[in-house]
Amino acid sequence: MNHPVTRRRIVKWAVPGAAALVFPGWIAAGWATTAPKDALLYFIFPHNGARIKGAFWCRFGLRNMGVTHAGDNFPNSGHHHLLVDVTAPLDPNDPIPADKNHLHFGAGQTEARIELPRGKHTLQLVLGDANHVPFNPPVISKKITVTII
Amino acid sequence: MAGDVHRIERRHGDDGSQSGPARRLAAILAADIAGYSRLMGIDEEGTHARVMRQRRELIDPTIVEHHGRVIKNTGDGFLAMFDSPVEAVRCAIVIQQSMVGRNATLPHAQWILYRIGVNLGDVIVETDDIFGDGVNVAARLESLAEPGSVYISGGIYEQIKNKLVCGYQSLGDQRVKNITDPVSVYRVLPDPGAVRRARRSRGLVVIGALVACGVVGVAAFYLLGGRTLFSPAPEQVAGHPPSQAAATAELTAPTPTAPVPTAPPRGETLAEPEMVPLPAGTLAMGSNDDPSERPIHHVAVKAFAIGKYPVTVREWRSCVAANACKYVAKGEDDMPVANLSWSDAQQFLAWLSQATKKEYRLPSESEWEYAARGGTASRYWWGGQPQEGAANCKGCNEPYDPKQPLKVGSFLPNPFGLYDMGGGVDQWVEDCWHRNYQGAPADGAPWLEAECPTHVLRGGSWKSEPANIRPASRDQYDANVRYLTHGFRVARTQ
Repeated sequence: MNHPVTRRRIVKWAVPGAAALVFPGWIAAGWATTAPKDALLYFIFPHNGARIKGAFWCRFGLRNMGVTHAGDNFPNSGHHHLLVDVTAPLDPNDPIPADKNHLHFGAGQTEARIELPRGKHTLQLVLGDANHVPFNPPVISKKITVTII
Repeated sequence: MAGDVHRIERRHGDDGSQSGPARRLAAILAADIAGYSRLMGIDEEGTHARVMRQRRELIDPTIVEHHGRVIKNTGDGFLAMFDSPVEAVRCAIVIQQSMVGRNATLPHAQWILYRIGVNLGDVIVETDDIFGDGVNVAARLESLAEPGSVYISGGIYEQIKNKLVCGYQSLGDQRVKNITDPVSVYRVLPDPGAVRRARRSRGLVVIGALVACGVVGVAAFYLLGGRTLFSPAPEQVAGHPPSQAAATAELTAPTPTAPVPTAPPRGETLAEPEMVPLPAGTLAMGSNDDPSERPIHHVAVKAFAIGKYPVTVREWRSCVAANACKYVAKGEDDMPVANLSWSDAQQFLAWLSQATKKEYRLPSESEWEYAARGGTASRYWWGGQPQEGAANCKGCNEPYDPKQPLKVGSFLPNPFGLYDMGGGVDQWVEDCWHRNYQGAPADGAPWLEAECPTHVLRGGSWKSEPANIRPASRDQYDANVRYLTHGFRVARTQ
């Protein structure tokens, strides 16, 4: 619809600087919770380019940080947010939106059953702090593309 | 046809040979602006200019379109005469609905709201005035009318009840000064769904208003006077199932002087939410706009009461002060309390029920949608399209603050007299989340499960796009997790 191939290419290009792409106003952030520099957020499943039939279990991977409940202020821990087909950049100072494209896992979930309409979709994980605000530096995964068949 | 009658009347008026003044039966429409002197006090020139513009753009043409004529204009109102009661009431509805649209973009204090009374009577017609009891009764009905509403006499009601499929709510008999017999008074429930159309084109308004009235199919109402009194309407509109009934505690717009909610005069620390009783009725729940809203299904909702506003920070603080609610709310007193989990809301309800000895609870999802629709079947209660300045959302235009919700009651209420049913804060309902309505209950009860990790949120918030503040829009969230846009409103079984 909006040239998914082109979009994927942009994502590839941007991977080394994914944080800059998602958080253009990052420099302005002052009070976000800090995260260790080596924190890594990634998809265990699905992998980029996967073709999936029907609903699937999406599994979230996190290294060098812990998963906790939203509202908990333990250091070096946060909770998952799954961004589906989100193209707009996130505000680094604002809580991650909660709607049909921004799924929250504040109960500490590390996997979720996801059902999407047929076609190409992008998925991206963002770790949020106790108040659903992204960390500084942001802990985000690569944006992957999956195709539901 | 109506024009012919007019000419007959004119001939009488112009013809000096008649012995005595001409008498005729006419539908008389009396209207005035509520709180006119207050409006003039705020901004004399601005108010005057707006009133004149409305008269020129809306009122005069609408009267002409309905084959009526203006008898006289007063500073804050006007008197008009119609050959047909149906046309007179149609005209009144069109004016009121157009005014809702015109007010929607303005702050409360600047709303211009007309009170309209329509009576059928035998009157003496002079060239530039009319006289008689019929006029006095119309003026009296007008003074009884709530700002923004239309009151009609029994005589008008008898003429239009089977022709104009709107809602009619009997308000009983009223004594009128200097008139021997009491006058039976009815309130007309216009359809807010026509607002948008009314704004777009006056030409379409008549059809629009009437078609929409038919859709609403309002059949039962309850007494407004006492506010808490509930009585089924004595009349039902033939051919329309009473199940589609819609009722209202406070029709269309509030008085401009009505204070934004303050604590009820209860004293102490307990600020009990203001409740609006709703009658039993049915709704076509859901929509085809999103898979989660399908299938559209009919639900019969029992009579219940629901908060007029979302629970406010002030009300929440009473619970915190009583050590019954853990979450310490931020924000000003009249803001809706936000950043609450479903479990937080349950703490408040348990405390409020215990403190008031009444059984407060969350509304069920179907009760919430019934209340939000306010008897309408359109995408939004005011019509099919998002409307600027109608609600607190991202893209709903000013007033807007990206950081926090606006105070409760900042926008016009829906036809049930409920504020902020869409936008402002997302509102928790009792139901567990189900991804669509396959297997949903049809009796208005909450749809529960033994295990219920996520609950339903309704109404969208100040951070939502206009599409997500529709009455049918659904969202979900973990029951024990707080999020900054989540609040709630209370409900009570009658």
